[in-house]
Amino acid sequence: MLSRSAERLYWLARYLERTENIARLVSVHMNLLMDLPNGVEMGWLQLVRINSSEKQFYDKYKVANERNVTRFLLVDESYYGSLFSSLSAARENIRTSRDLLPDEAWEQVNEMYLFTKNNLDFVYNRSKRIELLNEILKGCQRFTGLLSGYMSHNHPYRFIRLGRNIERADMTSRILDLASLLLADSRSDEMRQYETILWVNILKSLNAQLMYRQHVRSSVNGDDVLNFLLLNTTLPRAVGCCIAEIADCINALPNNDSLPELLVKLEAYVQAINIRQTTQAQLRGILDDLQNKLGDLHDSISKNWFLQAVAE
Amino acid sequence: MNAMKSIWENYKTDAAYDELMSSEFQPRQISHRLCQYLNSLNKSDIDKRKIAAELAILEMGISFTVYSDEGNIDRAWPFDIIPRILSAKEWRTIEKGLKQRLTALNCFIADVYGNQDFIKAGLMPAEIINSSKNFRKECVGMKPQHNVWANICGTDLVRDKDGVMYVLEDNLRVPSGVSYMLENRVITKRVFPELLQDIDILPIDDYPSQLQAMLTSIAPEHISKPQIVVLTPGIYNSAYFEHAYLAQQMGAQLVEGGDLVVNEDDCVYMRTIEGLEKVDVIYRRIDDDFLDPEVFRKDSSLGVPGLMRAWKAGNVSLANAPGAGVADDKVVYAYVPEMIRYYLNEEPLLPNVQTYLCDNPEHLEYVLAHLPELVVKPANESGGYGMLVGPHATAKEIAAFRQIIQQNPRNYIAQPTLAISTAPTLCKGKLEPRHIDLRPFILQGKNTFVTAGGLTRVALRKGSLVVNSSQGGGSKDTWIINMEHK
Repeated sequence: MLSRSAERLYWLARYLERTENIARLVSVHMNLLMDLPNGVEMGWLQLVRINSSEKQFYDKYKVANERNVTRFLLVDESYYGSLFSSLSAARENIRTSRDLLPDEAWEQVNEMYLFTKNNLDFVYNRSKRIELLNEILKGCQRFTGLLSGYMSHNHPYRFIRLGRNIERADMTSRILDLASLLLADSRSDEMRQYETILWVNILKSLNAQLMYRQHVRSSVNGDDVLNFLLLNTTLPRAVGCCIAEIADCINALPNNDSLPELLVKLEAYVQAINIRQTTQAQLRGILDDLQNKLGDLHDSISKNWFLQAVAE
Repeated sequence: MNAMKSIWENYKTDAAYDELMSSEFQPRQISHRLCQYLNSLNKSDIDKRKIAAELAILEMGISFTVYSDEGNIDRAWPFDIIPRILSAKEWRTIEKGLKQRLTALNCFIADVYGNQDFIKAGLMPAEIINSSKNFRKECVGMKPQHNVWANICGTDLVRDKDGVMYVLEDNLRVPSGVSYMLENRVITKRVFPELLQDIDILPIDDYPSQLQAMLTSIAPEHISKPQIVVLTPGIYNSAYFEHAYLAQQMGAQLVEGGDLVVNEDDCVYMRTIEGLEKVDVIYRRIDDDFLDPEVFRKDSSLGVPGLMRAWKAGNVSLANAPGAGVADDKVVYAYVPEMIRYYLNEEPLLPNVQTYLCDNPEHLEYVLAHLPELVVKPANESGGYGMLVGPHATAKEIAAFRQIIQQNPRNYIAQPTLAISTAPTLCKGKLEPRHIDLRPFILQGKNTFVTAGGLTRVALRKGSLVVNSSQGGGSKDTWIINMEHK
């Protein structure tokens, strides 16, 4: 497999995962806001914060309201982190990797792209926006499903899984960052009152509600949710599970050099995280550290397999 | 034929031969079933199918690139849903003619880089080869596998008003269009499933397997399972879609110049996640000029330094072989019938179009005196660029071209303006005759293979004779149908 192709597939998967994550995030947030009273600290700006894009946002918009934030996150072509930008980048990567994937994979991404491109104005109308988001969520799931069913689970497939899981772990850690608000000592009485709804919302945004209930078998509470989403190794969007998937791919790829060792260390690091009774500041520290480690992992992967094409 | 009125009311055939209709209201025998079917559809049915086809094209991402379109690098492929039909009986002769032609052309190329017997026999002036910009002196003395140089050929055929199919040109460098031929059938199956079920149409979808088999057959000796790659100039090339499509269909790697490297052992390797991996056969879609900056254009960043070394050492096979383009020259074209007689001792099965070589003083005189009736083409261009269509040109354009020809007669040929055949084409909901040509694809390695039909290109503008996609052309599905056991 060409190094260049490996890199394109890796990024294809990252961009598609990002597309799906943004869609789910906005979709869950819309539902949540219908339940919450106005003025709770869970406003639309939180979504911009999760993506660390406050500066880009305020360069263009004055108010962080529903209209501006959804436009920015979903269809703003000049913001590289928007759903449409991610989807366009995914399409460009798959367009140039068609020799490695089943036809249907390209058609699926292309269809989603065309649908979004032709309906960018859906974002301004709530029910249309929900339609758009559902289309994206379904489309991303179809893509994952058809690769799993139509494609050999070979090296190209492993690079796709690799990209997907790094992006996924990163997003989960960002969502947990948002959750850290719920631990703030300064949080309002209103927020304390709605705490359970908010924790459930965190679970929903990672498709983890049902699995949490089956696994934890207690009422929803902060400590358990954090533990579950960080350490569980079977829930697809839990950090522990993403790391296990990454390790699995890396161990099966050729020329993996020192990467398996790095992964063993990372797994141990994650499992040693203790978040019982942490403060907001401690949790943020842990998550920052985790995000940096994921960034380093990306650099090592890139150095190991992608840079070949330039190096010699 | 009243029922035909609705979509056929604008159908006015002219002097040109019509492929489907023997008169304005009378279908030919081969298109009888199609016309019957079209008449059973009302206007909105037809519109629906057209829209369905357009959607399919968008979703399948079938596109081509036009260089002048800044930013918009892929454009949807213009497709006409009404197929073009030929009978299997006629096709069998054409197929034989195409095989004969490519075989002779390959003998000629091998001869040009070998003994030059054809020239020595006085059948062609040596000057034609010496002045050809596609003659590569680096290739002299080379002998590719099976001594075949042009492994993939796209030959353009047109039918004149006399009903005879003529060869217009042989594309021996990097002919494109075969992916559109394949995709057109896929779309037609989606759009007219009822029709394809009950007409006996020859299948075309084994092309990728045939291409792979041909490429395998030209691998360096003792390699039975060669590593085959498709070498593309990259995503900005007009035919990138096709390169990716063919690689994917063959299960070959699609590579760019930067993915390949020639080492000191004169072997070609690709840079993979497992390190360097040896490459045995390259289906290259890059022109000779850009293939190897060590030998040809120094400024090429598309090619692979050292590729010619590796090829000459016999460590890698290139399809088409470098230098094969020497026979893809409109002057050389004029000599093909003679080549068939000389190398194969056969009479040509497919005629050439009458061709005047401006190089020849007598021909030149005739050409200059008859410019308003002739089509003048540069000997080495492709894509329909830089040509003069006399009957459609202004006096000013003709005067300008007269000068251009006189400055460089070797570079120009002229042919009578053919009334190339027409076929019904959907134009704003009605059928109108539009001019078409046909590009079958021929593969030659150990064996020779011809596609069943080819790519029919159609000039979508009324009256236009230019079918190139870069100049407002579209395409149609091409059906070779078996009438015999009906």
